[in-house]
Amino acid sequence: MWALDRPCVPRAERLCADTPLALLAVLGVGAGVVAGLVELGVLPVHAGRVAGVTAAHGALLATALAWSRAGVIACGVAVALIGLAAGASQLGPVGALAYLGPGLWVGLLATRGRLTRLGLGTPVRPWPIAAGVLVGGALSCHLLVSASRTLGVHVRVDHAADVLAAFAYDLGANVLAGESFFRGALFSRAERRWPFAAAATLATSAYVLRYLVDPLLPKSVELMVGAVFYLALLGAINCWLFAWSRSLVPGLASAAIFFAAYRTLGVR
Amino acid sequence: MSFIAAALVAVTAAIAVEDGGSASLLRHAYLVPVVAAALRFGALGGGLAAAAAILLSAPIVLPEIERSGLTSEAVEGLVTFALLGLVGVLSGVLRGKIGRHRRRYETLVTIQRTLADEAPLDLALARLRAALADRLRVHAIALVARDDERLVVAGGDRVAEGSLVARVLARGAPAFVSATGEDVQPCRAFAVPLLSRGRAMGVLAVERRGDISVAERAALEAIGAHVGLALENARLVSRQRRFTAELEERVAAARRELEELDRAKSAFVAIASHELRTPLTALQGFSEILALRRLPAEEVTRIAEVMRREARRLGRIVSDLLDLSRIERGLEPALCRVPVKLEPTIEATVDLFRQGAATHLITTECEPSLPVVDADPDALERVLTNLISNAIKYSPTGSAVRVGARALGGAVAIEVADAGRGIPAEVVHRIFEPYYRVPDAAGMARGTGIGLAVVKALVEAHGGTVRVDSTPAIGTRVTVVLPVPAGAFLDTPRRSRVG
Repeated sequence: MWALDRPCVPRAERLCADTPLALLAVLGVGAGVVAGLVELGVLPVHAGRVAGVTAAHGALLATALAWSRAGVIACGVAVALIGLAAGASQLGPVGALAYLGPGLWVGLLATRGRLTRLGLGTPVRPWPIAAGVLVGGALSCHLLVSASRTLGVHVRVDHAADVLAAFAYDLGANVLAGESFFRGALFSRAERRWPFAAAATLATSAYVLRYLVDPLLPKSVELMVGAVFYLALLGAINCWLFAWSRSLVPGLASAAIFFAAYRTLGVR
Repeated sequence: MSFIAAALVAVTAAIAVEDGGSASLLRHAYLVPVVAAALRFGALGGGLAAAAAILLSAPIVLPEIERSGLTSEAVEGLVTFALLGLVGVLSGVLRGKIGRHRRRYETLVTIQRTLADEAPLDLALARLRAALADRLRVHAIALVARDDERLVVAGGDRVAEGSLVARVLARGAPAFVSATGEDVQPCRAFAVPLLSRGRAMGVLAVERRGDISVAERAALEAIGAHVGLALENARLVSRQRRFTAELEERVAAARRELEELDRAKSAFVAIASHELRTPLTALQGFSEILALRRLPAEEVTRIAEVMRREARRLGRIVSDLLDLSRIERGLEPALCRVPVKLEPTIEATVDLFRQGAATHLITTECEPSLPVVDADPDALERVLTNLISNAIKYSPTGSAVRVGARALGGAVAIEVADAGRGIPAEVVHRIFEPYYRVPDAAGMARGTGIGLAVVKALVEAHGGTVRVDSTPAIGTRVTVVLPVPAGAFLDTPRRSRVG
């Protein structure tokens, strides 16, 4: 028993230890410079979007990998692959297939056992995955039913290529980076210090805040309220799924299904 | 669970069919499954049921807000959302509190029942650990308790230095560790002191893969205090019983000793009477013969010699009795010490025995130039007489008795050895006790049982020691060591009185 056999040394590691500050600084400065150049008309608007996506999702994924002690190279490769995918997706819907890159890279790291701290690469039982699918499905159904009953939003069935491209973006960047950082890294670390409720509140609040400051999210009140409502639910439930299964897979499944449903909605 | 889900769906369906919108009175029916879930599953269950109710009714309420803004009906719907959440969580919290109090009460009862039976501390701790492991729903549990200088550990082998338990034991305050290792699933550890009279007499430590809430920690602290008190009570009761048993044993031993002493004294009175009567009878008989008859001179001399020997014997017994009386009053025998040459004293005493009875071969072996000792000659003679008398009495007729003396550093050792049956090892330490006689020796020869007690007292009054070495079937050797004072005595006797 640990309390009897092992020396009890005071905790020295901070919550934000191992954060790749240099990489984050480079990403921030790079995104700022690109945004400035776009503002000055030197670079096209697309360049700004590429830089923004790379900086935001790259920072989240790189931090998650760094907290998992996957190594600097793994972080750099992940950021590069997201940047590459963001650039490729600007060329057309087919280019969005490049978002498979970050997912494959993370999968490769997981199979090598370097992401166990994130809850990836560890054995996972089928029940938590089924629960994740169920949660994602239930929230998606609710979202679609609620949306279909409102005046401003409807289920969009046209432009399937755009929907698939957006779905690829979610899988390779949005969901992957969000779940890796907010659940696998932030919630996991917070839970080692505080009770589940406090850790889940912190991780979910940060998760919701990340979407509220996202310039890509439409700024209408209804959508903001809806985003807070659904993302808070999704975030809290994914924290519970992670705490239950100690795996990121159920959360990835629920978030992927929910965002797939979200991508089918369109403003009239 | 299925009842709650079915009820939620049914209420939603009824509201939808009624088409009453967000202000439908049927919305209050959500309270039934929400409260039921709270009572069944606690705060989490109540909260989830409320969330499910809100999710199910959101498609009815939210579109209305979007269409018409915050109308009174819409506000009613929102208030219903808030009420459902509040009622679900609060009911669950209250139910959780009641459950925790009930579990705490049951745990305390379990502790009392477990420690009610008297058992050694390690066994009691093991039982208590097993009982608590069942109740506390933890992955690992250990109980440690001080038992005088050692630590009794249940649930492990030892308490490592610097461990959580060691820290709590040293500081006497609870300690919580939110993550014990680097595992993906954090394992919490909590240790509370088992307090008794303000001192940590042990530690209760638990580990769980999951939360140990503040309320649970408070409950564990209360349990720790209760276990500490119960263990202390059990220990006090055990100690009291042990003391009672020890006291009873001591009283019984003292009673046996007194009874034995009483028997010995009774036997002594009988023996002493007989010992006194024998020489008195001889003196009485011979004196009457001398008074009534006219005898030849040789016969008168012989009778006078017998009377003198019996008178000496009588005097010796009376002296022993007087010395014993002084010993029992805690006084040393009265001595009149002068420089005494040992060899003539030994030879004179041995001669008396040689003249009295020729049943044994008594030899003397004295080193030449023995130093003189500062001793009472009469006491020394009584010591030698007692020892030689014992050697003769308890050794077979015809065997040898050896009396010797030799210098021993700053002392002189006098030895009296016989070839008798010896003294059993288990009673050797008792032979100097007054009235004590070796059980199987009583039938061999007469004796009062005070001779050796007097010998010991006389020798110790001289500042010396007496030791017995006995081998059954081989013989017994008694060694008396008398100190030789610093500075040689002059040939001229110098009288001094001691005691």
